[in-house]
Amino acid sequence: MKIIKKLLISAIVVLGFTFFNVNANAACGKISIANMNWASANLMAEVDKVILEKGYGCTVELIPGATMPTFTSMNEKGEPDVAPEFWANAALEALTKATGEGRMHQVNLAPIKGLGEGWWIPPSTLEKYPELTTAAAVLARPDLFPHPEDSSKGGFHICPPGWACELINKQMFKGWGMEAKGWKIVETGSAAGLDGSMAKAVERGDNWFGYYWSPTSLIGKYQMVSLDMGKWGGDDNWHKCLVKPEQDCATPKQSSWIKSEVYTITTDNFKKTAGKDGMKYLKKRTYPGEVMNGMLVYMADNQAEGADAAIEFLKKHEDVWTKWVSGKVAKKIKASL
Amino acid sequence: MSFFNQIPTMDRDSLRELKKGIDLSFKDFSRAYGDAIEGFFDPLLSFLIWLEKLLVSTPWPIVIGIFGLLAWIGSRSIQLVVGTITCFIVIGYFGMWENCMATVAIISVATLVCIVVGIPIGVLMAKSSRVERSILPILDMMQTIPSFVYLIPIIMLLGIGKVPGLIAVCIYALPPVVRLTNLGIREVDKETLEACEAFGATPLQKLISVQIPLSLPTIFAGVNQTIMMALAMVVIASMIGVKGLGVPILQAISNQYLALGLMNGLAIVALAIIFDRVTQKYGQRMQKHRGQKK
Repeated sequence: MKIIKKLLISAIVVLGFTFFNVNANAACGKISIANMNWASANLMAEVDKVILEKGYGCTVELIPGATMPTFTSMNEKGEPDVAPEFWANAALEALTKATGEGRMHQVNLAPIKGLGEGWWIPPSTLEKYPELTTAAAVLARPDLFPHPEDSSKGGFHICPPGWACELINKQMFKGWGMEAKGWKIVETGSAAGLDGSMAKAVERGDNWFGYYWSPTSLIGKYQMVSLDMGKWGGDDNWHKCLVKPEQDCATPKQSSWIKSEVYTITTDNFKKTAGKDGMKYLKKRTYPGEVMNGMLVYMADNQAEGADAAIEFLKKHEDVWTKWVSGKVAKKIKASL
Repeated sequence: MSFFNQIPTMDRDSLRELKKGIDLSFKDFSRAYGDAIEGFFDPLLSFLIWLEKLLVSTPWPIVIGIFGLLAWIGSRSIQLVVGTITCFIVIGYFGMWENCMATVAIISVATLVCIVVGIPIGVLMAKSSRVERSILPILDMMQTIPSFVYLIPIIMLLGIGKVPGLIAVCIYALPPVVRLTNLGIREVDKETLEACEAFGATPLQKLISVQIPLSLPTIFAGVNQTIMMALAMVVIASMIGVKGLGVPILQAISNQYLALGLMNGLAIVALAIIFDRVTQKYGQRMQKHRGQKK
């Protein structure tokens, strides 16, 4: 018994000592960040890694992920700790529940400004026809955007088959009465088809009208202009009609696009490990839309990895990120570059 | 030692510059000539649109009747005609009629283009071994290069839609008809050729009235293969905006709709079997004809 007691006591002492040591050396422990499989999220994860490691002394591990798998893992296992760019519409209910129970925190409700989905035209078109700033104005001019297979109609480029936005755009087509206005849908077939049709048109200086989303390198590269889609047509119209197939709802009404809920979310563990400072950083960390698009263009043009792009961002956009951290931390990060 | 452990690589920057250079020069090319090339294909586009509209707007019993008639002309087999008619009725019953007609339109035009382009190339290859040596590697490349690779330049050059889809299909489906035309003409009996030369036939007469007729069964096997390969490209063509049975399949893939994918996939299979059996029977009948003559 004596031996066991001795062992126990010494174990507690040793453990306590190590614990104390860790606390003394770093304000922050080990955390993991989800590195999502698209460019902007990849860049944000890498920037967070550099700032949290160099500025706050955390040890950061990046874990590859995608929206739903990462969220499920965060919700069930509490890992990874941070999802820098989480498109919340996909799991809004579960997320609200988890935040309510205190297992997760929605730290930043707008990590990237000016993001969202909608209808776009190239800047050259707007230059030639400055009145085309709204969806309604564009829809009145199908003659400017000839359909590739029927030049008497206007061509409206929509999402590839099977994407949720394919359905929404088809319902929008009905809701806005586009057929009567002389429009016809252009089926794009695949992401490459949608991207390619836009790239081809803009490169040649042709007009193009269709669906896209930001932040993306294409929107940044071609400086595409998003159209004002007017008033929100009501929650019922969106959730019960526009997102449903035609046979489920035959009477969609016109509406602007739903606001994309993109958050930075963390587990409770992150709040404990990274502390107030870490939470404060994530709360303040907001990328202006044009900066993010610019970085995506840089990544696409140079075929750069997120890690390289993060260094480029920290070097080039000091004015942006130094506002997210205290002067002392900023100095530490600058010194490490 | 380090030389042996690590393969010499171009440094990252020059590699990037090289890739960028290729991209940019292609972009310049497409900016300069894209419209002209598009214009060149305009007649083909209007033909495709016309054919599809015709197939969709003609009353279905007439369309099915014509298909049945074609099957009869090709195969002279009542079974096949009945099979063809049943297949099309079932496809229509399951709501795939319009997509099916779009697919039939693009497959027929693709086959036509492949025959018009492929047979002359095959004849040239048979006439000159040098041409054969230079074209064979190109055919190999066309058959093996992943289609996604050539979709990128095609989209940049021609955009999305029917014509780029047709070209993608033809790139993949052209080689069999070229290869088998070449083979068929080369296989024509030497003695027969000597005989017709002895009668003083000019090379053109020899080609048109002896070599091509005698190699028709082989050429027809090539056409059959071309149709099969064109059908195999239906889904890929849908990825660049060609309407047809491929579109619902793409929808099914991204949403795990088992039934939708299966139904449209089976419709493609049904089309393939009809085309295959009819053209094969036709080829066999030609062969029988030759056998009698011999």
